[in-house]
Amino acid sequence: MTAGEIAAHLLGCCGSLEQFDAYMFGSALRGIGADVDILVVGPSGDTLSQLKRELRAAGEFLPLHILYMQPSEERHTEFVTRQKCVALTTLSASAT
Amino acid sequence: MNWQVKYALANIAEQGQLTAEYVHGELIRIVTPDQPDVLAAISAANEIDAATAANYQQKYPDMDFLCGYRSACIWRGDAIKYLEDARVGWGSFGTLTSAALDGDANTASHKAYRFSDRLLRQYGPVRDVSREFDRIHRVALRSGTSLRIGMLADYEPTADAVRSLWADFGPLDIVWNINPNGNPSAEAIDAGRELGCEVMKWDQLKEHLRTA
Repeated sequence: MTAGEIAAHLLGCCGSLEQFDAYMFGSALRGIGADVDILVVGPSGDTLSQLKRELRAAGEFLPLHILYMQPSEERHTEFVTRQKCVALTTLSASAT
Repeated sequence: MNWQVKYALANIAEQGQLTAEYVHGELIRIVTPDQPDVLAAISAANEIDAATAANYQQKYPDMDFLCGYRSACIWRGDAIKYLEDARVGWGSFGTLTSAALDGDANTASHKAYRFSDRLLRQYGPVRDVSREFDRIHRVALRSGTSLRIGMLADYEPTADAVRSLWADFGPLDIVWNINPNGNPSAEAIDAGRELGCEVMKWDQLKEHLRTA
């Protein structure tokens, strides 16, 4: 699967992603690498628990490596900028 | 061919120093120019216990290494003991490729936790270490104190990483950020406090073990 196809798959399978900002980063963006690195930024609690269940099912046949951050953690580390993360919605749009 | 075997073969092909071929089922053969060939089973399991490990060994008796392909794969202590007793290496995909290059696939252990596991066992105030999971150790100190320590290998552990470690493995006294670089976020330290454990690096842990 290409990065765009993986993004479309995750967005299609995980309705709870609408409540989070989700990105892909690392070598998977170039279609290589042992893992598919995903960053999810948003609230903790029940919504996150639900999202984790959805992502686990969606990743049954994918080597997902998922990092969950609170918005304050992302701001402090500037992870999206530093790691050149690309939003799943952007990747998905480019795949269609 | 299973998805994880396809990923493993494709990634070995990208690396250049190694070549790999499909054998059957979840078994692949890795060939390096100067080291023995490695027969590795590539598992998609989320968790590997002794029964799973024994099942793999029964299926592939010549297996040198059992690879948990998912980065989130959890290894139970009984599986680790079973595989080490059987002289079968175990760990992540990165552990497998390093071990193939080093020629020690039969004795290799998950490289994310290898150094920290050894550090704990060799530290003077520690009397005994029981490995419950790859990342969870119960440590008995010479002082008589017993501590349950969870390891986080992340560069900058987040609050979710701390909460998930607690939720997945049960109550902990200490969350040890074993990555020598980076530091846990303030939110991760707060999450630990809320749960009732301390999040620390090796220097703090060393002092804690010495004085506990």
